[in-house]
Amino acid sequence: MSEEPIISIRGVTKKFGSFTALKDISIDIRPGEIFALLGPSGCGKSTLLRIIAGLETATEGDILIAGQDMTDIPANKRPVNMVFQSYAVFPHMTVADNVAYGLKLEKRPKAEIEAKVSEALAQVHLSDFSHRMPDQLSGGQRQRVALARALVKRPRVLLLDEPLSALDAKLRDAMRLELVKLQETVGVSFVMVTHDQSEALAMADRVAVLNDGILRQLDTPAALYKTPCDRFVADFIGSINMFSVTGQAADGADAILSVRELHDIRLPTSRLPAVGGPLTIAVRPERVRVGDSPPDKDCCISAEGKLGDVAFQGNSSIVEIILEGGASIVALATESEADILMQAETGSPICAWWNSEDMLLLPDSAIPGND
Amino acid sequence: MESYRKNIRVFLAFFGPTAGWLVLFFFVPLAIIWIYSFGENSSLTTIKTTWTLDNYKRLFEPEIIGLFWRSVWLSVVSTAICIVMAYPIAMVIATASRKAKPWLLLVIILPFWTNLLIRTYALLNILGTRGRLNDLLHWFWNMGHGALELVGLGSLLGEQFEPIVFLGTPGGVMIGLVYVYLPFAVLPIYSSLERLDRNYLEASLDLGASQWHTFRKILLPLSISGINTAAIITFIPLLGSFLIPNLLGRGQVDMIANVIERQFKSANDWPFGSALSLFLLYITFIILAIQSFAAMRKRNQENG
Repeated sequence: MSEEPIISIRGVTKKFGSFTALKDISIDIRPGEIFALLGPSGCGKSTLLRIIAGLETATEGDILIAGQDMTDIPANKRPVNMVFQSYAVFPHMTVADNVAYGLKLEKRPKAEIEAKVSEALAQVHLSDFSHRMPDQLSGGQRQRVALARALVKRPRVLLLDEPLSALDAKLRDAMRLELVKLQETVGVSFVMVTHDQSEALAMADRVAVLNDGILRQLDTPAALYKTPCDRFVADFIGSINMFSVTGQAADGADAILSVRELHDIRLPTSRLPAVGGPLTIAVRPERVRVGDSPPDKDCCISAEGKLGDVAFQGNSSIVEIILEGGASIVALATESEADILMQAETGSPICAWWNSEDMLLLPDSAIPGND
Repeated sequence: MESYRKNIRVFLAFFGPTAGWLVLFFFVPLAIIWIYSFGENSSLTTIKTTWTLDNYKRLFEPEIIGLFWRSVWLSVVSTAICIVMAYPIAMVIATASRKAKPWLLLVIILPFWTNLLIRTYALLNILGTRGRLNDLLHWFWNMGHGALELVGLGSLLGEQFEPIVFLGTPGGVMIGLVYVYLPFAVLPIYSSLERLDRNYLEASLDLGASQWHTFRKILLPLSISGINTAAIITFIPLLGSFLIPNLLGRGQVDMIANVIERQFKSANDWPFGSALSLFLLYITFIILAIQSFAAMRKRNQENG
């Protein structure tokens, strides 16, 4: 990437007492992109966002915004603005006063402030609400006020903390699209924190997956889905079938993996991940085929079991294959496969198989020395 | 609530004792005082209810007006000092760690564990001309005097230490009043700050405001209800305080309650004492009414 990053996070570590919230995180955020910090709650993603905003100080490491070191620059002097998870729209001010709050501090002429406020409110479709008090607004409207209030400051980067989590499901989907469109219009980078992987995948250009304060993987949504670097990322992004490898033997250029639930698997050694440690094989449900028997036993990995639940989903169905010993495989069956399965009774014998190339071989952690 | 209304017995069981208590020990005595206030002493021990307004007319004698005025300004200033002092204390407690918070609150409540009379006598010991506070000031004076003498300015602080007279002065009474009522001001402000979403302050900083601007434009307006409650909760008992002006005022800084007490005891003028008591009650009512009216108007304004 030749372009200079708009935000450069360099080796940031954050400790709260003896608890380490972030461990040596380094991320570059590009101008004009939507960047998502994704992870389960408590992974440190919000802390990282607050460090960028200047509301929290890093124990170690630096933040550079547009090439400038932010270490000694307080929150109120940083060229970033934040949309809080609770929105934090000032309850004692009208919508217009909320949006004007930051501009008034810049000591701009009154007419200019008014023009900018009405422009910002128009951008978030709240022009008719400028004289309302926040308690007369819905959650979605309050969020728009928070957005307008931050964007009107023309930040280099807009920080969004769980921007959609407080909205109801229907509004959330509409707002996803709207936020992406808004980002395209204003052109500034968005850095958003979310625990919802589908939100991150749908909205972001690039996603950083964090767990326990460690950056697990940073990639585009498609790459995260197709080539997760470890067991955690694979499990966190989308749904996936996973089996722990219990034994490993070498046979010439091949490795033979034993998995308790499946037959032994023979693979070229070159496919094994570089880092050692416990290994997991994984396959996405849409890569799993189901039927009486696999067409070609040699290139496939197959498992026999009993038909479990079938959940009809229109053009596909989610099928559960219960293996001997109680473990199960989930497959996303095509319409034609599902038609056959519908006639089969629950508990009848069935086979699941997948191509060897579709199978992922995952370490517990791609970072040596962790876990 | 619905079920209470349906079952009158449950209602009576819950509210009967309280209501009975209030009627018997509050409304009835109040009514007696109200009737007394229209009466005249007919002998040393009997009061004749003549429905005279003389007792109320006497409220407008300059001496009594002066007394009320002094009580009101002492209370207003003490309330203001209480709030100005309580706000930072409340802020420290509200922002303290979860471990420290209960201990800090305990420190605020601790004085209530000792009887007010004993605490006031302790204040007498501290504030007297030969009290602990003057001892401390004397020590400081000695230090300062000694230091100034070294540079040849020994006469700057006078030849001898003059103790400050606290007892029997409005200042001394005010120190006592603030000491007693400060916890009452801390608690409501603390609870309003405690409930405040910290994100409001962070959002203000994030939008470019300084700490001071954030305090003025966000923190203060959002904790105004706590300040209002604190003002009422300290002002009302302050206006009727008896013990502190009685002991620390040495009869020279009387407040209303001291004069009322005198009417019922040494002056043996129950009708006038009753009129004074009721007048104090009316003042309190009026202040409360103005306050809630202002609050209501503010709410209406905000709702457009």
